[in-house]
Amino acid sequence: MPSAVLPASDVPQLDTAADLLTLLRDTTTEPRPDSQLEALALAVAADLPVLLWGEPGIGKTAALTQLAAELELPLTTVIASVHEPSDFAGLPVVGDDPAEQGVPMAPPDWAVRLVRAGRGLLFLDELSTAPPAVQAALLRLVLERRVGALRLPPGIRIVAAANPRSSAADGWELSPPLANRFVHLKWTHDHEVVVRGLGGTWPRATLPRLDPQRLGDAVDFARLAVCALLAARPTLVHRLPADETRRGGAWPSPRSWDMTLTLIAFATAASSSRDVLSLLVRGTVGDGPGLELLASLDRLDLPDPEDVLADPAGAELPDRGDLRQAVLDGVVAAVRERPDRARWDAAWTLLVRAAETGPRDLVVVPATTLAALRREEWDVPASIERLAGVVSLSAQADRVADRTAARTAARTGR
Amino acid sequence: MREGEPGGGPYGAAAVLDLDKLLAARLYAARVRPYLATALFALRVVPSRQVPTMGVDRHWRCYVSPAFVDRTPVEDLAGVWVHEVSHLLRDHHGRSDRYARLHGLTGPAERLRMNIAADCEINDDVYGDGLVTPEGAVTPTTLALRPGELMEDYLRQFTLGARSQDLAWLDCGSGADGLDREWDLGADGARGLSEQERDAVRFRVAQGIKGRPGSASRGWRRWAEDAFHPPQRWRELLGAAIRSAVSGPGAGDDYTYGRPARRSAGLPGVVLPSLRRRPPRVAVVIDTSGSVSDAELGSALLEITAIAKAVGGRRDLVTVVPCDAAVRVVHALCRAEGVALLGGGGTDLRAGFAKALRLRPRPDAVVVLTDGQTAWPATRPPCRTVIGLFPRPSVGRAWHEHDPDYVPDRPPDWARLVEIGPDQGR
Repeated sequence: MPSAVLPASDVPQLDTAADLLTLLRDTTTEPRPDSQLEALALAVAADLPVLLWGEPGIGKTAALTQLAAELELPLTTVIASVHEPSDFAGLPVVGDDPAEQGVPMAPPDWAVRLVRAGRGLLFLDELSTAPPAVQAALLRLVLERRVGALRLPPGIRIVAAANPRSSAADGWELSPPLANRFVHLKWTHDHEVVVRGLGGTWPRATLPRLDPQRLGDAVDFARLAVCALLAARPTLVHRLPADETRRGGAWPSPRSWDMTLTLIAFATAASSSRDVLSLLVRGTVGDGPGLELLASLDRLDLPDPEDVLADPAGAELPDRGDLRQAVLDGVVAAVRERPDRARWDAAWTLLVRAAETGPRDLVVVPATTLAALRREEWDVPASIERLAGVVSLSAQADRVADRTAARTAARTGR
Repeated sequence: MREGEPGGGPYGAAAVLDLDKLLAARLYAARVRPYLATALFALRVVPSRQVPTMGVDRHWRCYVSPAFVDRTPVEDLAGVWVHEVSHLLRDHHGRSDRYARLHGLTGPAERLRMNIAADCEINDDVYGDGLVTPEGAVTPTTLALRPGELMEDYLRQFTLGARSQDLAWLDCGSGADGLDREWDLGADGARGLSEQERDAVRFRVAQGIKGRPGSASRGWRRWAEDAFHPPQRWRELLGAAIRSAVSGPGAGDDYTYGRPARRSAGLPGVVLPSLRRRPPRVAVVIDTSGSVSDAELGSALLEITAIAKAVGGRRDLVTVVPCDAAVRVVHALCRAEGVALLGGGGTDLRAGFAKALRLRPRPDAVVVLTDGQTAWPATRPPCRTVIGLFPRPSVGRAWHEHDPDYVPDRPPDWARLVEIGPDQGR
């Protein structure tokens, strides 16, 4: 550095600058649950191709750095848009006798280093701003794990990132068959986290740990979850995105359901929250089918009506109103299916318990339905008196109906 | 929402919540709005003497003032239940946050404005049909606004002033406007719904409405359609469709081995491809059969020329083929933009297609602007096709003088279809 640029002083200016930079970089971290990072970690662990959709500059690379550190993998970042297709498909090198030996496709140095290391996290950034030929070469890398003549060993995990279609300057988009091979994760920044981070405290996400004891159960649960839904809803198995808005995103097909199954097993083995699972499932089969799967999982968690009828006094009723009503409705439906005296009585016991331990308005519809199932020879159980509050609630609602109807009639008559 | 005097007294003598009255109201609300039952039952009741009337938070807790329940008739309470759950189903807190961030709005006054706008969106068609309008409910008419619009539309149209003076004490809680209240139990508080649970409930309600749309109002049906797929702006969709049509192999910037790259000279023995540019040619076929308005046509045509320019095309590579007698706007625009205009003729869109495909050199993409009341070519054209469709509300009612049973064909599935709606400046 020529001395003319910096004013003379005892301490060289660059050393002072280095001190200032050290101070600026001196930040602390705090643990903070981060669903999107957890979802990314699970998808990477499951070795499925992940595509992060996010605006430039919102911390995708920072997240990947943290993930790599946590998984103890070296991180290689490749900015797709500054490369040529041959950097991914391999450079054709003409040898002495091409007709005899063929033309080998020489891989670039980073790939050679990566293969030699045998393990690592490869991050392909800015997929969407690269020319079509580069993208085509990259997709081969992501999906077939090949760079030229090299094959990436299984210890290497690949994550790609792209800008959303609306903000991509030259508007690249995935064709539906390609979109179907990825787990799509939307990467967004949390305002609070950014402000706190710039203030000196960045979040540190604790990554999910797979519990070796739970692997078998996790696979059983994942199979049950997907099969239960698809058996009941055959049209969900394969549904090509029909309209423009859904193009280039996740959609359901046997392949993406298979990926979903894997992800459910991973999330279960890691005891991840439903929020994390929701990101993964919706990113694999799309919002609609994903939400249906999650709703069906909620129902899988509900007690079986037959078990409840067998032990109405000890059965666990969910705390959340809508789920509680689903259980009560299910039990009444089970009695309707196979009506007999003992089951009818058991259902009343359950309804009385429900009315005494939770909101009473939920009990009205099941109680009305159950009352209608009565056979002449069945006596009304004594416990039914404890449902008096429920009956009065229902009567109150009936009176409102009458009053409102009268009011409407008066208004229209005027 | 809150009724009563702005400064009106302490929150009443009733210390104990009349839960039966409140639940009877919920039961009644679920009876007259069966499609909302799941959402109504998913709400948690939290008695609170701090809350003025009834309010919700973003974790689906419903804070209720015992005094308010005491002084309010059951039928009004039922209306309030539906009103509060509507805030949550329509994600008003999330939308308020996004709107505030997008427009740099801060402060309680702005949040109050969001609460009012959200109330307007709900109240214009949530009542009636068995549900009475609660006292003091804000409707778009209160603010001299048009009914049937969304919260974001209303937010652009009014400011706090003389008309909204009386509303300054309105409060539906953080679930309506995203501003945390002192009585909120917060994310860590007991018995809230997680994000996934909230989505699941909203999804079930939307599915219920879509499954039996007959019983739901127009506003609810629209919400159910868009709940998980907010409509995208047609400009973005049309742009993406055209860009992907013109950037296919053979057009735009791409690598080719047809000619070695100049940097090959430095790397003997290595064959490198070179970057080659072939600007895309776009033919725009315009159905000007009179049913498309000049304004719609003008904005769509401008959009297309802008996109063609952005992907590296030159104006002389965009050709316009008007079908039927060309309207003034096409001529005017083509002159102003320097776009080549091919003569009109033929009332059939098929003739327009044929003419576009006969162009030499051949276009890389054909963009058709039409209202869809036309016949389509029977076979797939040899280049990519994008259809910009001006939706007509009464496609089923399309009527021909000589053929009352005439129903226009659906646009073919080999083309990418973008519906061009009215302009919505955001």
